[in-house]
Amino acid sequence: MHIVELEEIYKNYGNLQVLKNINLQIEKGTSTALAGPTGSGKTVMLRLIDLLEKPSSGTVYFEGADANESSKTRLNIRRQIGMVFQKPLAFKASVYDNIAYGLKVRGIKENMDGRIKELLELIGLPGYENRNALKLSGGETQRLALARAMITDPELLLLDEPTANLDPISKKKLEELILKINRESETTVIMTTHDLLQGQKLADRMVLLYNGQILQSGTPDQIFRKPKNRFVADFVGIENIMSGSIESSSNGLAKIKTGSITVFAVTEKEGEVHFSIRPDEITISREKVQTSARNTIQGKVNEIIDTGSLIKLLVDTGELFTVFITRESLNELNISIGTSIWLYFKASAVHVF
Amino acid sequence: MNEIIQAIFQAIELIIELDPKLIQITKLSLYISLTATLIGSLIAIPIGGIIYYYEFWGKRSIINLIQTLYSVPTVLVGLFLFLLISQQGPFGFLKLLFTPTGMIIGQILLILPLLIGFTITALVGVSTQIKELAISLGASTYQTIITIIKEARYAIMGTVILGFGRAISEVGVAILIGGNIRGFTRTFTTAISLETSRGNLVLSIALGFILLSLSLIINLLLNYLQGKD
Repeated sequence: MHIVELEEIYKNYGNLQVLKNINLQIEKGTSTALAGPTGSGKTVMLRLIDLLEKPSSGTVYFEGADANESSKTRLNIRRQIGMVFQKPLAFKASVYDNIAYGLKVRGIKENMDGRIKELLELIGLPGYENRNALKLSGGETQRLALARAMITDPELLLLDEPTANLDPISKKKLEELILKINRESETTVIMTTHDLLQGQKLADRMVLLYNGQILQSGTPDQIFRKPKNRFVADFVGIENIMSGSIESSSNGLAKIKTGSITVFAVTEKEGEVHFSIRPDEITISREKVQTSARNTIQGKVNEIIDTGSLIKLLVDTGELFTVFITRESLNELNISIGTSIWLYFKASAVHVF
Repeated sequence: MNEIIQAIFQAIELIIELDPKLIQITKLSLYISLTATLIGSLIAIPIGGIIYYYEFWGKRSIINLIQTLYSVPTVLVGLFLFLLISQQGPFGFLKLLFTPTGMIIGQILLILPLLIGFTITALVGVSTQIKELAISLGASTYQTIITIIKEARYAIMGTVILGFGRAISEVGVAILIGGNIRGFTRTFTTAISLETSRGNLVLSIALGFILLSLSLIINLLLNYLQGKD
């Protein structure tokens, strides 16, 4: 059974439509990242799932039952969910009382001290019980928030941009913690993020939102390798996106003309298409060599960018290609701006959409 | 002029000597106003919490009305209650007129709007994010209201102190409902007005000093609590 299901959800604030026809099912034990630019509706979706808001139309199901049936069902379901808000937030009380809150409102008293001690160790704040929670740093408060949400062993953990306000070190710590929680306690996690790499790191599944609509959902691999449309491709930062028309195709091998170059690709599509080639699928040489790669294209190095670990080349073949090489290759091949080089990539490396 | 200075010194003497009359009036005043503040707070804070939490038709008007009543003249409250509990009034049978209990009820009525209104203001001062935090952590409506009251505790304590300040310094209810009966319903304010009109400045000034000290303490407490927020 799905732990959460959103069915034909619409959400309006006055005349502003923030969610449009959202249909989404979340499997138990999985980790999902809702990704998209600011204002795409991620947070509203999370708030609908936490039952802090009701949809304008459509239904939110929790473990198969209508979650908004009555205020009592809402309370019962909310007590199976833990939520961490984007802004680090604490009650005007001690760290202990902050973490204990969820247990207290549920009337659970057993082994409270032990649980809190355990959680404080997990979040890296051992011995912080009696500290004033308002005096913690942003990163500490965010980890406290995670502990506060975790103490009741929720079935579902919701995280709204959990690392947005954190420094890199706190961010890394929190990410590791989220992974650990999802893997070890099999808690279902839904998080929002505008950071796709974070989504890729932490989630089994990514849901891409834009303008209140789901553009694509799938594994991070699917999203990064097979973007459904130009927008997704641009958003996920895919390099080497080009457009052209399919001239001819036989046995699934298509010939795409962009106007300046011809590219072979494996696709069943016809007519006008977009396509992309991941930079790491492209190999280069100074002199033309015989390879099994179907696509062999010559171009001139336009720009050489040192990204730290790798060197990024922008190669003008009529279309602009991005290629990554190591510093050793750069020296070995003696490449400088204006050098003419050959690019090779397989027809199967061309993703057509 | 000399007489006044002399009276001031004699008043200080009275205070130092712990004059029984002075002590009796102080005790009674504190008893009536503290009780009124305590009961008033127990009524006002939950009502404030409910008005704050729920959205309902006419909420804004109710809050406006409450705020208007902050500055209702104390004699008007006295008169209103007098009409209710006098012999001919609907609650005359309770025989509350000219009793400390009647005065307590009057002072409760007097400070209730202020207590409710400032409680609402204190709760509004707590961010909605805290409210949502409580809800998302599984708090029921009742638990959420309690949590928000706890968050606003210093501001609410300030409200209670302010209510006490209005109760102890009022004269309208004390005189109309209490009747200024010596040893029974005579408080700071009624004693001062009576003794002054009688020309007994020493006792008036002594009572004035005590009332002033109380105001000072109240202000210091308020400042302290505001610093906490």
